[in-house]
Amino acid sequence: MTRYYVQRKVMARSKPLAYVTSGAPVEIMEAMGILTLYPENYGALCGARKVAVGLCQVAEATGYPADLCSYARSHIGAVLQPKHAPLNGMPRPDLLVCCNNICGTVLKWYEALAAFYDVPLFVLDVPFQRTTPAEPHITTYVADQLREFVAWLEAHTKHRLKSNRFHSVLARSREAVSLWQEILEFGQHRPSPINAPDLFVAMTPIVALRGTRRAVDCYRRLKAELEERIAHGIGAVPGERYRFLWDNIAIWYRLYRFFRPFMNAGACFVADTYTNAWTVELDPEEPFVSLARAYTAVFINVDLPTRLRTIADLAQRFRVDGMVMHANHSCKPFSITQNDVRDGLRDELGIPVLILEADMCDARLYNEGAVRERVAAFLEML
Amino acid sequence: MREARNLQSPISNLQSPLGFLTAYVPEELFHAAGFTPVFIFHTPDDHGYARAHLPGFTCWVVGSALDQALAGRLDSLAGMALAQTCDTVQGLTDLWQRNVPDIPLFHFGMPLRLDGPSARAYLLAELQSLRERVQALTGHPIPDDALRESIALYNRTRALVRRLYAHAADFAPSDLYARVRAAFQTPKETCNQEAGGKKQEAGGRISPLLPRSCAPLFLLAGSALADPVLFDVLAQAGTRVVGDLLDLGERYFAVDAAEDGDPLEALADRLLALVPTPTKHHHQRTRAAHLLSLVRERRAHGVIFARQKFCKPHGFDYVQLAHALDRAGVPHLLVELEQASQVGQLCTRVEAFVEMLT
Repeated sequence: MTRYYVQRKVMARSKPLAYVTSGAPVEIMEAMGILTLYPENYGALCGARKVAVGLCQVAEATGYPADLCSYARSHIGAVLQPKHAPLNGMPRPDLLVCCNNICGTVLKWYEALAAFYDVPLFVLDVPFQRTTPAEPHITTYVADQLREFVAWLEAHTKHRLKSNRFHSVLARSREAVSLWQEILEFGQHRPSPINAPDLFVAMTPIVALRGTRRAVDCYRRLKAELEERIAHGIGAVPGERYRFLWDNIAIWYRLYRFFRPFMNAGACFVADTYTNAWTVELDPEEPFVSLARAYTAVFINVDLPTRLRTIADLAQRFRVDGMVMHANHSCKPFSITQNDVRDGLRDELGIPVLILEADMCDARLYNEGAVRERVAAFLEML
Repeated sequence: MREARNLQSPISNLQSPLGFLTAYVPEELFHAAGFTPVFIFHTPDDHGYARAHLPGFTCWVVGSALDQALAGRLDSLAGMALAQTCDTVQGLTDLWQRNVPDIPLFHFGMPLRLDGPSARAYLLAELQSLRERVQALTGHPIPDDALRESIALYNRTRALVRRLYAHAADFAPSDLYARVRAAFQTPKETCNQEAGGKKQEAGGRISPLLPRSCAPLFLLAGSALADPVLFDVLAQAGTRVVGDLLDLGERYFAVDAAEDGDPLEALADRLLALVPTPTKHHHQRTRAAHLLSLVRERRAHGVIFARQKFCKPHGFDYVQLAHALDRAGVPHLLVELEQASQVGQLCTRVEAFVEMLT
């Protein structure tokens, strides 16, 4: 990650740099030669490096309430005091691109950034998909905005979107997404060659490098490695006894430490809802419409019955013994319906579910003792 | 005053009551279909039902609506409408459909962007979709003429509430907002008749210690019409509210819909013309600029922010607005509202703020 940020800092001297949300159509910017960086990814980095709390406090000292998203608070803290932030903060952006298909918080976060940096902000409005598939007028609206987005980028950067380059980026994005899907499906093997915390680390290219050759190369290598592990019967968790499903964003400041008791008990998280968020396919023949469909149908922007079907499908295909849900203070879209998902899974599949309250970056909301006890009781019950 | 009051007036006496939440539901469309739209205000009562469904870090505005529904307090509703605003309301859409199946839910996809031709086209398509879904439920068409009549009726209510706000300083804050809330809970025909038939009488519980000429004049900013306890505290402290930037306050009544032409276009243009709530975006029409112009225009001495705990849009919005006020040298106070407000704490903070200004 450090190399990635250092490289982008150097490249930003000669190319326009846009901050983008993780659910934004980055393929368009990649095709136009516009650099992208992800404040959410940076927030996760702050969490993993255990500096998020200090940065959150910087933001809170300027008035941000402590119950707001900890990615946003960490990043805003880093913007305000870059000297205290990893890599001395992110380089200054030229543009901001905010897409609300992952949550509504990003709008306020990016409005704050636009005010701070005094740079242009494009808001891509992706409505909630209340039925599946999305109603045609939703797709039309998003596709129309994508065309507006191209014109906006061209006006602000003087870079042009060339059709042949756009198609090759879309093809690479499709290939990376396809490889990532294959990697996720490897979890179906017994023993699973990969565990959820490994996926949380390995997901960075699908978030931050979609449409690039590096993402494709990276996933080809990972796929080959996992195939080798499967061929030799090597599991991510030695002596795999239980197979679990994970829901929500990772607890970055306890990434491996949190999963350690599960691994010690022979429990492997063979699938999850978080890294599945990027498994969408794109059609180069209808780029704007297919991008609109793909970015509208991301996991946390669709209705509960569709999400429940997705989770039940994962549970059945990956033959899981239980599910662990992270009730994440920072992420309402992921967390607000978890109790009903739990009830639905229990009723439909008889799967036991453990819900643990914590936060993805703010370690002040993590109760070590309570988590340890509840995890131990859950494992004992199995 | 220490007893929290239930704001929800009886809905069982209304004709086909249609509950709604958020500041973007096109009430006129439901009214034209024969419903009586009524806002579902949160109450301090907790029957414990919502907690089985929502995480503890959910704002009570939404939690209370679900709790009331699951407790059977909203059984007389003929339907419920939610416009897309924040993540929590989006979650409520899912939870309502799954857990309150007997009260049909209408989700209205209000765009996040209030500018640009694509947003207007999408909004018109959403209004048409909503019209068709309502018609499918009732089995009756919603004619354009009926919609125009409803628009005219609502315009009269909006004009009356604007008149109320023009004389806001003549009322105790608790009385001002009791009247504003009534506009959300009383059938518009009755509301217009009552408010139009008699002159608004000022009065209420303004503290005798501070005559109007030297009472501190405040603006309020926040989400819903908040907690009546806050308004009581403001009245007790002798303050007057001269305007607001509440989601369901002055901004909601500021713009009329056109009474001629295509009625769906009229509804769309009204919704797009409103000062955005924090969940919406307009690249030029900013909330900070609007608040500053209100401060100047009403000669307010300060701004009180009333934020519902766990409300993310207003949490972020507060910082932007507070910084704008700081730059302009306008004093402000943030109070955080919970399920049941702490009267003593609110009193202390508001009184200290008033003392600082006087």
